[in-house]
Amino acid sequence: MARSRVRLPFTTFHPFVMSATSTSAGPSTPSRKRSRWDSEDNSPDSPPQLAQPQKRRAKSEQHQVKPQSLKATNSTPANAPPRITAQRKQQAHSIYVPPRTSHPPLMPSRSVYCYERLNSIEEGSYGVVFRARDKETGDIVALKKLKLDEEKHGFPITALREINSLMVCKHENVVGIREVVVGDTLTQVFIVMDFIEHDLKSLLTLMPSPFLQSEIKTLMLQLLSAVAHCHERWILHRDLKTSNLLMNNRGTIKVADFGLARRYGDPVGVGGLTQLVVTLWYRAPEILLGATTYSTAVDMWSVGCIFAELILKEPLFQAKGEIELLSMIFKLLGPPNSSTWPEYSSLPLAKTINLPPYHPPQLRQKFPYLTAAGIDLMSKLLTYDPEERISAEDALHHPYFSESPHPKHPDLFGSFPSVAAGEKRRKPDSPAAPIRAADYKLLTEFDLP
Amino acid sequence: MSVSLYPLATLAQIEKTPSREDGIPQNLEEDLRAYGCKLISQAGILLKQKQVAVATAQILFQRFWYVTSMKQFGIGDVGMGALYLASKLEECPLRMRDLINVYDLLLQRAAHTLSSSQHDFKYAPMSYFGNTFYDLKDALVVAEMQILKRLGFHVNVVLPYGTLVNYLRVLGLTNRSEVCTRAWGYLNDALQSPVYALYPVPTIVSAAILLTTRHYGIALPSDPENCWWELFDAEWEDVWSVCGYIMRLYRQKDPMEQMQLLTMINKKGVRQWLEENHSNSDVR
Ligand SMILES: Nc1ncnc2c1ncn2[C@@H]1O[C@H](COP(=O)(O)OP(=O)(O)O)[C@@H](O)[C@H]1O
Ligand SMILES: [Mg+2]
Repeated sequence: MARSRVRLPFTTFHPFVMSATSTSAGPSTPSRKRSRWDSEDNSPDSPPQLAQPQKRRAKSEQHQVKPQSLKATNSTPANAPPRITAQRKQQAHSIYVPPRTSHPPLMPSRSVYCYERLNSIEEGSYGVVFRARDKETGDIVALKKLKLDEEKHGFPITALREINSLMVCKHENVVGIREVVVGDTLTQVFIVMDFIEHDLKSLLTLMPSPFLQSEIKTLMLQLLSAVAHCHERWILHRDLKTSNLLMNNRGTIKVADFGLARRYGDPVGVGGLTQLVVTLWYRAPEILLGATTYSTAVDMWSVGCIFAELILKEPLFQAKGEIELLSMIFKLLGPPNSSTWPEYSSLPLAKTINLPPYHPPQLRQKFPYLTAAGIDLMSKLLTYDPEERISAEDALHHPYFSESPHPKHPDLFGSFPSVAAGEKRRKPDSPAAPIRAADYKLLTEFDLP
Repeated sequence: MSVSLYPLATLAQIEKTPSREDGIPQNLEEDLRAYGCKLISQAGILLKQKQVAVATAQILFQRFWYVTSMKQFGIGDVGMGALYLASKLEECPLRMRDLINVYDLLLQRAAHTLSSSQHDFKYAPMSYFGNTFYDLKDALVVAEMQILKRLGFHVNVVLPYGTLVNYLRVLGLTNRSEVCTRAWGYLNDALQSPVYALYPVPTIVSAAILLTTRHYGIALPSDPENCWWELFDAEWEDVWSVCGYIMRLYRQKDPMEQMQLLTMINKKGVRQWLEENHSNSDVR
């Protein structure tokens, strides 16, 4: 009987496809030293016929499993632990192991016709985003249509990354994905998200005066905690910029547009990471110089650019091309050298660049009203050497956030008319208008209904 | 903290799978699932694909059969679609043409086995412009999309290996390499069963450890108020049930049963089986 175990057909021996019963230990399951466990349940001829899986908690109401399938459980060896599930105290689950019931069920995509289309938010731009209403709940949502036509490689990997990143990175400051719905044909797939009234880019252009320091701190903390969360889950966003940061009327930022996101930390094979990431102005210098391996630091550079933009109310580096961008960076931060960035000279495109003569960073001149701690954080985000650039987690604990003025409570942020919802800004001469752009400063001091 | 909530089948889905609704007995469904998973793993080996992609594909494949009947889609096509999709998810995409060639080979091999031919199996490569290629390509694209749609695009998968290493460390078993190897092997074998679509990873890892420690006669604390699996938030009944699923994989199948599976790789074979088996004896 020693070798009577059935070799599963085609079972191939392969170092990576290691099977419990094909281990180098040799003897297959039935031929080993027998224990009570074996004699009861473990012979190949009478595998344990065990109970169907039961969902706990549902147990009391659900009818019990068929008796014959419980047989093995009843014949549990005497030394086996008693069945404790039934009377077991409601034990607190560790945070690492959420109860089974909190896992989502296996559920097919619903139809896009569950939503009523309202207005399109981003007309002209080619990834169309609509505002829509859930016909069942009345909730207002945003629908983003994925570009799928003419795909030669099945479902596009970029769309998979976008959906998966949103699902994996759920967080207070990441735009909430509700579901993915489908249209009539295989090419119609929509991401359903919570509708968020504003994007930071439009907001910055519409606001008559810049954000207050206290507000900037709040926004930066939110942005950093979202980025830290994504990085902790091995997701790089790779396209952080103000138009991809949404903000609701309650002063909460939501990172959106994971269209370029991807996992990192995989052994970089398959051609490495692509260089065509991050909208030019927010692109880290190592990408500009052709680095093929890069990591979380590219997002942190973008965060630095966003920090500057919140202060300046306009993008920090408004360059027309990569060379101009590099020279703007060199101008603001001083050119890199072997001590500020040891790997610089080994980057693919470094040889093609003529570095200007050394001069010190100009951050103080660029941000005359920023405190020393603020300048310090800025310079740690806009650090040349990606190895030295501050991480999101560390930036969250930077002294800038604990010095006065303290971060403003998000509830105290003003409310703005939402361009995305199709709201017009009220005419300045309309006296009844409760939310006037000109009143912004005043309104931010109060908690609006 | 870093807990990604991957989907699991509901009790209702477990009790009545779409295939069983269509009259496929539970044992046969389990065997077909396991066979589909074996095809995925063979294709993965021939393609030198990373094991993480193969494992992810097998888990997606298992989830799929809680929302779809084998009368509607074949295990061959869905397995191929799952491997294609999982390879993208794991950032090691496959070339469509390579995958199609490999599945063609596997299907030809199965057909050869069925034909009980005296000659050794010899693969006849297909023409890239022939119908087989386009048929398989269509099937592949459809299968990938159907997996996505029917799983609601919830294709997030968490693999058990890191958890196993942690648990073995907690239990002080990491210095016994045969224990690690065998437990790891059970986790791999379990990929051919539905358990990854049914139970959270800690439960499955606990089951692999239970089978392993029993195999080697290693005693671990198992008193009612001090059971090692509770440390990992697993329930005894669930762990026990996972053990059952795994052990059933090693069940001796008679050669006829085995041949039967080969005829049911596609839905045509499944439908034929259903006709033959339900015309005389009515379902239940
Ligand atoms: N959840 C949302 N709520 C409201 N507006 C949104 C939402 N998601 C996106 N938008 C709007 O649509 C624009 C484009 O969406 P985005 O995801 O960035 O797509 P793209 O890949 O085309 O840049 C955003 O800049 C924003 O104005
Ligand atoms: Mg965008």
